[in-house]
Amino acid sequence: MMFLSTIRFISNGWVKDLYVLPKYYFTYYGFDWVKPFSENSMYLMFGLLLICSIFIALGLFYRLSASIFFIVFTYIELIDKTNYLNHYYFISLISFVLIFLPANKYFSLDTYFKFTKRQYKIPAWNINIIKLQLGIVYFFAGIAKLNYHWLFEAQPLSNWLKHQTDLPLIGGLMHYNETAFVFSWGGALFDLLIPFVLLSKKTRIYGYMFVIIFHGLTSAMFPIGVFPFVMIISTLIFFSDQFHEKIIRFLKTIFRTKHRNKNVKETKEKFTLNKFSYFMLIAFISIQLLLPFRYLLYKGNLFWTEQGFRFSWRVMLIEKVGYAQFYVHEPKSGRKKLINTNDFLTGQQEKMMATQPDMILQFAHHLRDHYSDTTIIEKNGEKIYLNKPKVTAEVYVGLFNKGSKLFIDPNVNLSEIKRGYHSKSWILEYEK
Amino acid sequence: MMNKKNIKLLKPSVFFILIFSIGVSCKKKGCMDPNASNYDPDAKKEAPCEYTDFDKSEMLTNICDNYIIPSYANFNTQTSLLKDKVTAFNNSPNTNSFVELKNQWQETLLAWQEVSFIDFGPAEYILLKNQVNLYPIDTALISTNINSGGNYNLESATNYDAKGLQALDYLLHQPLLNDQQHVDYFTNSSNAASYLNDITNDLTVNSQYIVNEWHSYQTNFKNGEETNAQGSPVSNLVNGLCSYYETYIRKGKIGLPLGVFNGFSQQEMPELVECYFQQQSLPSAIRAMESLKKYISGISYSTSQDGLGLDDYIAFTGATQNGSSLSVVINNQIDLIIDNLQQLNDPLSSEIMSNKPAVNECYSKMQQLVPYMKVDMTSALGVLITYQDNDGD
Repeated sequence: MMFLSTIRFISNGWVKDLYVLPKYYFTYYGFDWVKPFSENSMYLMFGLLLICSIFIALGLFYRLSASIFFIVFTYIELIDKTNYLNHYYFISLISFVLIFLPANKYFSLDTYFKFTKRQYKIPAWNINIIKLQLGIVYFFAGIAKLNYHWLFEAQPLSNWLKHQTDLPLIGGLMHYNETAFVFSWGGALFDLLIPFVLLSKKTRIYGYMFVIIFHGLTSAMFPIGVFPFVMIISTLIFFSDQFHEKIIRFLKTIFRTKHRNKNVKETKEKFTLNKFSYFMLIAFISIQLLLPFRYLLYKGNLFWTEQGFRFSWRVMLIEKVGYAQFYVHEPKSGRKKLINTNDFLTGQQEKMMATQPDMILQFAHHLRDHYSDTTIIEKNGEKIYLNKPKVTAEVYVGLFNKGSKLFIDPNVNLSEIKRGYHSKSWILEYEK
Repeated sequence: MMNKKNIKLLKPSVFFILIFSIGVSCKKKGCMDPNASNYDPDAKKEAPCEYTDFDKSEMLTNICDNYIIPSYANFNTQTSLLKDKVTAFNNSPNTNSFVELKNQWQETLLAWQEVSFIDFGPAEYILLKNQVNLYPIDTALISTNINSGGNYNLESATNYDAKGLQALDYLLHQPLLNDQQHVDYFTNSSNAASYLNDITNDLTVNSQYIVNEWHSYQTNFKNGEETNAQGSPVSNLVNGLCSYYETYIRKGKIGLPLGVFNGFSQQEMPELVECYFQQQSLPSAIRAMESLKKYISGISYSTSQDGLGLDDYIAFTGATQNGSSLSVVINNQIDLIIDNLQQLNDPLSSEIMSNKPAVNECYSKMQQLVPYMKVDMTSALGVLITYQDNDGD
């Protein structure tokens, strides 16, 4: 699965577009040291991901492959927050969890080559933690949908669906506002309930049908890449071990392996975690449970300010577009220069930045550093020395098609504002 | 252990079902949707909403058949006529045939303004805007080409700023030469006469190419209504329109000569205006804005009949700007810009220096249209200005 995804990434030329061409990268606060390597090394990284994903699937040098996969994948994602997607975060988390799971103990080449002892039983928490991880994704995506815009305005769906009137079968329903409400409420309920439906043996199969329908539909309607397929495959984990046995048996007949099946009997085995692992497990889970709620610490409308928005499973929640113009000021004369953003950023970076205050600030700082202590020769021959220039931005943002308006204070000197997780008071208020 | 957990966690789900059913039963009844054909803001009792379904395919067909195809056809006709006038002038060079040539050049330039923003598909393949109307032109390169005696390749990108309608602007309006002196210039230099002929011919080749390409391109364009994703007709149309307006009308026609983009000094750069040598820049700018309005409104190129256009599509989505309908806001802003342009005087290159506040005012009106189109219109129509898929967050 990850193999195909990586292939898709490379074949679309995205390695070059995202990690070679940009001259500037929007790093994460605290991770500013993460920088891309040369073009060839970046391709090498993606090659490494390919190899690791094959090895993980085959169960060869499993633990090493999983570790490398996690490190390389996370490294690539940390380079530039322009490319942040919830499902990349999901993949990072899962690959982290996989490092600690003995997924190579039964049906794998590691056991075939006797690198590790075959083991028929693994502690239940190994499976449950992945179930929990998936459950968190769905449940929090559901909680995130419990907001005024989603539930009572059916936004952004009511707008998006209007462009879907040409879908086969259901296309004709798309221009009714009721349809948007059904989809909104249905989507929220689906996300909130599906983890529990999948947990219960009785309802599991129906739940999985819903998973396929839900993700199939979203995949047909929106350009959201591999996410639906990742989820469809991942949720198979909820099925019983007998179900997976069948798949393995099927695979074995295909490859005619000589391994004979031994019947695995369900026996409960006592299992104790040592204290350290126990602590780590709790920490890992509770961080994830708390992160999505950090937005409560910030003032203002979450969708407008996006403070505490990332890493919270907020998927397909907002329709937001922005347009930003930056000015570098010469403090002495009060004159300012309009910056051509294309000189510094790619189109995708510019688009993502225009709606996200932390990125606007980062770019303003980049401009400050770029122009600090430089002499600029104007077209008319005038020389202008900039010590520490003032940087301002005029940004228009439209949220939920309510009309674009000024997003941040156009007079505030961004070059003097510190980055970080404190509240950004220079974001103008969002009035409904 | 698992069962216990299950029961515990089922409780919140029951709770949410409850909320859901309450939510549904509490939903306000009555047709509250301003997009419905029977929308009644005062309705208190339940009334089912009726909708006129928006036919995207009809809109694309209307824009294609009634604007794009006929406007390109007209541009192609005008370039052919221009070529005829050049031939006529070269056969019998006199002030009459020269004035006729200049008049036809003006017609061709205005016909170009009417198609300039159809900046996708065939026009994008051959960078039509760069081949037809790039400025400022390179007068030194033009001289070099003329003096080379036919030793130039007009298809090469290095010659884009030595050909096209703006090169003709220079050749037909050379500084300090009157009509008779222009006639003499071309009679005395067969190289100049053939350069005039070659760059006019180049225009006809390109305009004919576009007409031919649209002959086949239109099928996909009219039938590409399933999605507004990247590469779809709606996306191409909107992206071409927005980028052309932002870069070549707002910036190219007014912003650059005004000095808005000129560093800290903001010093005016009057030599950057369109038709610098003819000294008539405003008719082109006004024609471009008037045509852009027709194009957005789905108005027929030849009959001025109002069909389905982007404005109707925007209205269908119910997008608003500051409480008013977005399509009305965009329309009014374009009117305001045309109005501001009409209050300016040519030559624009002098107006920028002598009446800068008025030009500034006009520019700021043009600037305001950028977020209306680039932010509000694109998000209303679900069009991304992008190249990569994303999951919406």
